[in-house]
Amino acid sequence: MKAKDIMEPLKAYLAPDDTLKSAVNKMKVCGRGEGLVGVKGMVVLDADGSLMGVVSIKDILGAVIPSYLKVTKLGGFTWDGMLEEMARKVADKKVSEFMTPNVISVPERAPLMECADLLIKHNLQRLPVLSEQKKVVGMIYIRDLYYAIVKVLFEGEEICPL
Amino acid sequence: MSAVAHEAAVSAETYAMDGTFWTATIIFILAYAVIVSEKVHKTVVAVVGASLMIVLKILQQHEAFHVEELGVDWNVIFLLISMMIIINLMRPTGFFEYIAIKSAKVGRGEPLRIMLIFALVTAVLSALLDNVTTVLLLAPVTLLIADALEVDAIPFLIVEALASNIGGTATLIGDPPNIMIASKAKLNFMDFVYHLGPIVVVMMVVFLAIVKVVFRNKLKTREELKERILQMDELEAIKDPVLLKKSLAVLGIVLLGFVFHGVFHYEPATVALFGAGLLLLLSNTHDPHHYLADVEWPTIFFFMGLFIIVGGVVKVGLIKMMSLKVLALTQGNMFATSMILMWFSAFASAIVDNIPYVATMNPLVIDMAQQLWPHESGLGLLHHPELMPVWWSLALGACLGGNGSPIGASANVIVVGMAERAGQKISFLKFVAYGMPIMILTVFISMIYVWLRYYYFV
Repeated sequence: MKAKDIMEPLKAYLAPDDTLKSAVNKMKVCGRGEGLVGVKGMVVLDADGSLMGVVSIKDILGAVIPSYLKVTKLGGFTWDGMLEEMARKVADKKVSEFMTPNVISVPERAPLMECADLLIKHNLQRLPVLSEQKKVVGMIYIRDLYYAIVKVLFEGEEICPL
Repeated sequence: MSAVAHEAAVSAETYAMDGTFWTATIIFILAYAVIVSEKVHKTVVAVVGASLMIVLKILQQHEAFHVEELGVDWNVIFLLISMMIIINLMRPTGFFEYIAIKSAKVGRGEPLRIMLIFALVTAVLSALLDNVTTVLLLAPVTLLIADALEVDAIPFLIVEALASNIGGTATLIGDPPNIMIASKAKLNFMDFVYHLGPIVVVMMVVFLAIVKVVFRNKLKTREELKERILQMDELEAIKDPVLLKKSLAVLGIVLLGFVFHGVFHYEPATVALFGAGLLLLLSNTHDPHHYLADVEWPTIFFFMGLFIIVGGVVKVGLIKMMSLKVLALTQGNMFATSMILMWFSAFASAIVDNIPYVATMNPLVIDMAQQLWPHESGLGLLHHPELMPVWWSLALGACLGGNGSPIGASANVIVVGMAERAGQKISFLKFVAYGMPIMILTVFISMIYVWLRYYYFV
């Protein structure tokens, strides 16, 4: 199997000029699978459809935490309500300012082992899948690879309840 | 005296505008122009320029590495490295955060009081440590306090940068120009305290009074926000009390060492190196890699490269030519020399980094002294009574000039960068609007001081 066989086809994406608030909204309403519970990360594409970066919930948290806290050990001196205050302050921040740029991606024809290796080696949750024209065509989530492994282990077996 | 050193001494006596002269001059001018343009990182420029001085046989490698007058000033380098190691060991203890939070609490959450206390604390720490470290450690706390009080952080940050440059002027280790001047002019720690300390105190008083008047009605906060500050427990900042005690003890020994280094004939670098070694030993670290890697190597290599570049133009006689021009201009009037040097240094340091500026001016001042008093040598020459005010004027001008623009001093660069990362951009002109008047005022005070102390009441 190759990356394109297990990937989730690209349904929604963010633009670099989207605000943080609208990005959160897109992530909230875009479900994956049957549950439609929202996604925890989304690719950022420019006007030509080229991959610019990824926004995950970690990036959203990172945007809300002030830069001076990140470089110090001052976390103990914050106050009740600070997170909420800062969240309101960054609502209009542009996606391009807080996304993770230089995303690691895979081509459609990448073997699953390469995908698994990249996810673990770089501590990632998801990998954008690129076509030969370098356009994003889908996403592979760490869960998809886990399910691929589960499938192998229980091939031809009835899954028995405990 | 080795043959090489002898040759160097001879070549310093005369200069000819030959091919070597022009090659060295072009390297020097190009290097400084590229540094000012910021097109290439200044450290890269310094290293390339220095290597060219040797590759093109303007300096022999031996001169660049081992001859004090022409190459790297290891006294400056080891003083800087050692102090950086001490700070690197102290930083994780949380000492600086403790001081900052404590200051904000002493200010009772009142923005103007906090601004004044922070300015004072910054000035004192900048005098005892280096400016960059001081603002690097205080700026994040400042941003936090400003957020807590819902006030604009930018005035606080600019006031701190200005205070650090004023405070750093007071001591030998406070600001890089002073470190360089002290080494070349063989001045000790107490010389700086005695000659620059009093006027820096006066400048700080004036500066704080101005800050108080300017921001009196501008900084407002609400009572419930002050509570946020008052409920902070500064003791929580202390992450490693054992190492903190050891660090403070070593810092105490080092400062004591600085006070007495002149008496016991130790160089400041020896004192600092001893402190760095002792604290590394006491910290029980099994992996000093981290503390050593965190030394600001780009700054260190910037210094080393500049020393060699300047050494090249000293050897070919460019510096001598410049010093003769200065002498022709001032006609040997030392009062005029001091005043011109002070104001020129201030504006030059506001535009160019004051480190390359002072690296160039030091040999120029020494050369000028050699022309004026050809029969003197050694300390008799360097500490000639008429030369002393010239050194102090250079130090005052170069240190205080740093306040003139956001690129004038490293502390300013740090503050502007940190504010930008926090989403609060300080524009070039905004900094100049605060910094330039303070620069002009403090240099003016220095001018009156030098005139009164060294020329009027002699």
